[in-house]
Amino acid sequence: MADSTLTEERPRTAGRPRPVQGTRRRRRASWVGYLPYLLPGGIAFLVVIGYPLVTNVYFSLFKWRGGMAPLRWNGLGNYVDLMGDDKFWTSFANSAAMIVAMVVVPTLLGLVLAAVLFDYLGRRFGERVSSVLRATYYLPQILPVAVAGVLWNWILNSQTGALNVILRGIGIETPPNWLGDPSTALPSVMLVLIWVQMGCPVVIFMAALQRVDPELYEAAELDGAGWWDRFRAITVPQIRPEIFVVTLTCTVAALKVFGPIYVLTRGGPESSTLVPSYYSYLSFFDKSQVGYGSAIATVLTLVIVVVAVIILGLQGRAERREREGI
Amino acid sequence: MKHERTMTAVAAALAGALALAGCTGQTGSGGGGDTDDSTLTIWHYENEDSAMGKAWAEAIKIFEEENPDVTVEVEKQTFEQIQKNAKIVLTGDDVPDVMEFNKGNATAGQLAAQGLLTPLTDAATERGWDEKLPGSLATTATYDEQGLMGSGEWYGVPNYGEFVGVYYNKDMFAEHGLEVPTSLDEFDDVLAAFKEEGITPLAEAGAEYPLGQLWYELVLAYGDRALVDDYQLFANDVDFHNDAMTKATEKLDEWIEKGYIASDSAALTAEDMGVSFIDGTYPLMVSGSWWFGRLATEVEADWGQFNFPGNTLHTGSSGNLWVVPANADSTSLAEEFIDVTLRPEVQNILAAEGGLPVAGDASVIEDERTRELTENFQAILDEDGLAFYPDWPVAGYYDVLVSELQSLVNRSKTPDEVLDGLQSSYDEGKADLLDG
Repeated sequence: MADSTLTEERPRTAGRPRPVQGTRRRRRASWVGYLPYLLPGGIAFLVVIGYPLVTNVYFSLFKWRGGMAPLRWNGLGNYVDLMGDDKFWTSFANSAAMIVAMVVVPTLLGLVLAAVLFDYLGRRFGERVSSVLRATYYLPQILPVAVAGVLWNWILNSQTGALNVILRGIGIETPPNWLGDPSTALPSVMLVLIWVQMGCPVVIFMAALQRVDPELYEAAELDGAGWWDRFRAITVPQIRPEIFVVTLTCTVAALKVFGPIYVLTRGGPESSTLVPSYYSYLSFFDKSQVGYGSAIATVLTLVIVVVAVIILGLQGRAERREREGI
Repeated sequence: MKHERTMTAVAAALAGALALAGCTGQTGSGGGGDTDDSTLTIWHYENEDSAMGKAWAEAIKIFEEENPDVTVEVEKQTFEQIQKNAKIVLTGDDVPDVMEFNKGNATAGQLAAQGLLTPLTDAATERGWDEKLPGSLATTATYDEQGLMGSGEWYGVPNYGEFVGVYYNKDMFAEHGLEVPTSLDEFDDVLAAFKEEGITPLAEAGAEYPLGQLWYELVLAYGDRALVDDYQLFANDVDFHNDAMTKATEKLDEWIEKGYIASDSAALTAEDMGVSFIDGTYPLMVSGSWWFGRLATEVEADWGQFNFPGNTLHTGSSGNLWVVPANADSTSLAEEFIDVTLRPEVQNILAAEGGLPVAGDASVIEDERTRELTENFQAILDEDGLAFYPDWPVAGYYDVLVSELQSLVNRSKTPDEVLDGLQSSYDEGKADLLDG
């Protein structure tokens, strides 16, 4: 067996320098052969993404109340209305807050936490402690968002919530109305989202850290690098691909966040926690302004695509630079 | 070999495609406009042990006895499910023959305007529904071409009613020597008396419907039927800075300022409000008859219910409607079933269970509180005093009301600014509705 593999491989290595026409032809033929395998994915894409997307853009050009009501051509009217709609702008401003809560903070904090768990706790107290802690951080991700919402409503309820009961217990007469006051509602929601989101980067970064060659750390340690120096010079550059993946997926998730807003505040109080996807839903279903709701959804999709392309571009550039650096 | 594998791949891909198509396509059975007189499919979203659930179980029993060759299929839905999906589901073929749906411009009116419901006007006159359901009860059953209630064809039939009144904790009233108020001024005095004792009198919830309904009760206290017709049925344009609405909003603002309503209630839900009334934190709760059953089983203190003091008009309406989808298989069976639900046998079950029947008899009720509630409702019906709900006139107004009144509770807007906000959304929504 071993012999035959060897003999088989030899001609291939020998043949590599000269480009043979036959190989190219065979390659093209095999490429065609794979086409049918794309079919299920292609059909799924068309049915689940392509068709709804096109329909959505189509609806956004009409005034329509849904059902069997007549579609009335409105051209770009819905988009013009959007530009002058304060709530629409509020919702996108809140998206920025969502990015802070679901991308920036969890990624930064997740990076440090993962490194501490892996590097310090894992080594000091054993693998088991660090994996238990990792699972604990991940727990909110497993929890259905509806359950998490009810839970946080119990904690943050202005009158009977655990937090305010504790605050009153230690002598604060009028504790903040966390989800009821427009000035605290958004920060409260952000806090909940950080809690929900944290597990994702921690788990991914810890997996990434296992990939990093321990020799790098040992060498750095011998050269007298402290924990922070090693973190900055080895950990971060080594797991950069994962950082990009986390940033991309979490940014997309932050832009289209819906569930937590729906269960926590429904966009209130006084529209202070409105986000684009919830606003689209409100217009589409509650107000029966299907065209307007579709226009919001279309703009949201566009924004997500642009942001995703930018992040992917940055990732590509970083990788290229790294390759050139080596 | 290779060729064969390609074929298998293609076959697999096609199978996958078919499976996908199967998921998204129509199921094929029961095409639109088909008639199928052997089954009656009913969708509703009431609990089995609720008044409606029990009464309708009886109606189904009667219907089955009278139509032995018809199979009745009841599919239990949730309100959210039907509410959000109705306009999509009802365009298909897999629809029920008769289903429960919420009344009002934004709900049943929308479906009627979208051509998704069967008009029932002929059945209503033939079977005498129009006589059983007069005045403000019929208002919510008829919708015009634009889906506005109060005129046009019959599209739904209510079985029961609901209204907003005042629940009060008798023990707490007795403890402070207070009487049931009979006018708004007396009500004010009661609120002030509780506040003086350090008790916040009104259980409220700013994040959901209760605060809007309290506001509307106050509007009705200062307003008249003409204002209701303007506001709800678009008889004339409404200036929100009119006398009644201005006074009402200022009164509510005054109550908030004086602490009759807790300052931290902006994000509280109806559930929070109910629970805090049940556990005796607050002596008063202005809310709907839908709380009755829950309070009857959960409140330990002695409690009662009275109509909003001094009002002849009250927040409330007929209950949800039976509607017949346009694509239903058998309209005649559906109409017959609806007729059964209006019979005395069924209506009296509603009455006994506290379900506020539209055509029932309060005197047959044994339970004292249930009789009190039903008599209070009958009194409103006798005066034709149902004035509907504040969020009804235009689609999406619920969120506007919640948001504007939250800013009143949070002291971030003056009554004047709140009225401005309510006015602009109302005008916008109305224009949207009217140009259809």
